[in-house]
Amino acid sequence: MTARMKLGAFLWATGHHIAAWRHPKAHVNAGIDIDHYIQLARTAEAAKFDMIFCEDAAGLREANVGIASQTSRSIGFEPISLLSALAVQTSHIGLVSTASTSYNEPYGLARTFLSLDHLSGGRAGWNLVTSASPIEAANFGSTGLKPHADRYERAREFAEVVTRLWQGKAPGHDGQSFSVHDPLDLPRSPQGAPVMVQAGASDVGRDLAARTADVVFTAAQTFEEAKAFYDDLKGRMAAYGREPDDIKIMPGVSPVVAETEAEAREKHEELQALIPDDVGVALLSSYLSISDLGRYPIDGPLPELPESEGMKSRQALVVEQSRRDGLSIRQLARHFAGARGHWRIVGTAAQVADELQARFEGGAADGFNVMPSYLPGELDAFATLVVPELQRRGLFRRDYEGRTLRDHLGLKRPA
Amino acid sequence: MHLAISLDIAAATGEAVLDFSRISKFVRQAEAAGVDMVAISDTADGLSSSPFEATTLLAALATVTNRIGLVATASTIAHQPYNLARRFASLDIISHGRAGWNAMMAQSPREAANFSRPEGFSDTDFRRRSEEYIGIVQGLWQGWDADALLFDKSGGRFHAPEKMHLLDHKGEFFSVRGPLNVARSPQDTPVLVLSGLSEADFDIAVRTADVILLESGSVESAKARFDDLKRRATAAGRDPDAVKVLTNISLTAEDKPAATADRLETQFRARSCDGFNIELPAQRSAIDDFADRILPELGQRGLVRESYRGTTLRSHLGLAGGGDQ
Ligand SMILES: Cc1cc2nc3c(=O)[nH]c(=O)nc-3n(C[C@H](O)[C@H](O)[C@H](O)COP(=O)(O)O)c2cc1C
Repeated sequence: MTARMKLGAFLWATGHHIAAWRHPKAHVNAGIDIDHYIQLARTAEAAKFDMIFCEDAAGLREANVGIASQTSRSIGFEPISLLSALAVQTSHIGLVSTASTSYNEPYGLARTFLSLDHLSGGRAGWNLVTSASPIEAANFGSTGLKPHADRYERAREFAEVVTRLWQGKAPGHDGQSFSVHDPLDLPRSPQGAPVMVQAGASDVGRDLAARTADVVFTAAQTFEEAKAFYDDLKGRMAAYGREPDDIKIMPGVSPVVAETEAEAREKHEELQALIPDDVGVALLSSYLSISDLGRYPIDGPLPELPESEGMKSRQALVVEQSRRDGLSIRQLARHFAGARGHWRIVGTAAQVADELQARFEGGAADGFNVMPSYLPGELDAFATLVVPELQRRGLFRRDYEGRTLRDHLGLKRPA
Repeated sequence: MHLAISLDIAAATGEAVLDFSRISKFVRQAEAAGVDMVAISDTADGLSSSPFEATTLLAALATVTNRIGLVATASTIAHQPYNLARRFASLDIISHGRAGWNAMMAQSPREAANFSRPEGFSDTDFRRRSEEYIGIVQGLWQGWDADALLFDKSGGRFHAPEKMHLLDHKGEFFSVRGPLNVARSPQDTPVLVLSGLSEADFDIAVRTADVILLESGSVESAKARFDDLKRRATAAGRDPDAVKVLTNISLTAEDKPAATADRLETQFRARSCDGFNIELPAQRSAIDDFADRILPELGQRGLVRESYRGTTLRSHLGLAGGGDQ
């Protein structure tokens, strides 16, 4: 049997488009409605998605209150409690939550995810992030955001301790950032260990992923970028004694799909028309780690930027795109507002499937993390239009292979 | 009288380990009997073979129950205050206003050793740190006004900017800017339960707690402590009835229902507490016995309510706060 693509349903309250909450059909109180999420999880499970994926930030997304109040992103569920609730309301789908190595302790985090894993019968995954935002940092002390390299060094030590704990071992660890003595007081995971996911794509980020991750989530605009990332990461794995197939690379993709291409474009334009300029520019600034993009002429080019201490990889992606396509700040902001630098496809199910198939078969992705523009509408559209098309082409499963997330992803059980 | 049941999930080992379906069945039985809340504790200091951590279990239980309050123990060593405030605010939304946080005032040496604090804290440091921590968590829970969310799609106003408040806390142990990125709790703030108190913690408890759990003693000593706590609450400027004092009662499987009910009734009628926290070992036999024999006996005597009047934990406990009363 040829390999099938892996699919994640990346759920973000009202949807990924920055203006999603304003869409007439978006579920506006998504951030306080557990039933909305239960419904989304069941939709994704019925469509045989490998997993649900939740992002996280331990703080507001936007420093400026005037901007924040025009988005839905300042409130939402804390994802580990959210997924624990979903664990007993679903039976097969994987449940992956983001959690930061910068603002947690390995013993507590390992224990919490293992509990989620037991509640779900072996369907939990942890998306390791190092947290790039100074807004979050201010909730955990007065010293501000730590340098990129320091955050990753802590992340490496953190991941090492968590891995040992999940193996049922006593870490007896006295390291630079942590000391942890005992083994976990919970039994081993039903899937050997929860799945390790990683988002972050800088050089050190890739090395950490090559060493520890089972799944890597990334942002790439073009086929060439996606392919280069894929080959580079798989190429780094031998150094850590691992096989290329031990990691599933799943770039984000935000499709806007409809029965006809014209309808899909119309739907997309409808969302684009709802973006206030200052909100779009602020979103772009936050990912570029620059506070004052608003003082440059909105119809002029992106200025030269100092290298980020926040998200190095995303800054590089945006700069590259602005130069490649000759985009003004406004154009770039409007483009970015749709999926924060992730790949967007607007079209029919066949067109979306063609594009996904090309990247999958071209060796640029093992699957995709699907980022619905607004919810629940765009998840429903993907489930009812695109999934059957992928199944017809033999590119996606018709039923789950097993019960655990590792089963779905075709990952080895850790020793 | 208020009735809480504590389930120490970590105390069970081997055959006695409870799976989710057994735990949820028991919590539903307690709900059918009108119990105010079930408190999940998992802070045993030794090794256990329970598969669950309390806050994740609570989230799952919230989706299979409707009325009963759900309280989870979470230590101030294992979590940063911002993260813990978020977790419980979220649990409160998931449970539609039934969540509570049980903060232990006693520190566990094992936790310190596994959370990069090998030496732990001195008692006085731990006490000051706990009070600061609780203040931060409660402050974060109040970061959004009740009417902050506008959901105004056409006007593009999701929330009212002036109804979101920074905490801007800079203290001895923590510095936390806020606000919380979880909406206001359905019951304004999740219920704060304090346990493991020593005499020196009482003033912190009456200033901050909604519910205080106390170890049992003689009826006389319990009564003296109860009166003392209520006096202290008044002195701290709170309505004494805004702090519920529950006495911990350990039940063994062999207890006769009538004898247990007698014991609770006597203590309650002596006004030595606002109710009880029944500590059950996480063993099938004990929880079956409690659900099948003791709860009905308490019901017959009119000691537990026949049905819930409201939907939030605050309303069960007769505490002021959001949601219905
Ligand atoms: C696709 C993708 C998704 C991410 N999602 C999150 C997230 O949900 N929360 C978060 O704090 N950081 C997130 N990050 C940021 C990473 O954790 C990391 O801190 C940041 O990217 C800096 O690392 P890098 O320079 O290696 O990319 C994400 C990064 C990528 C590439």
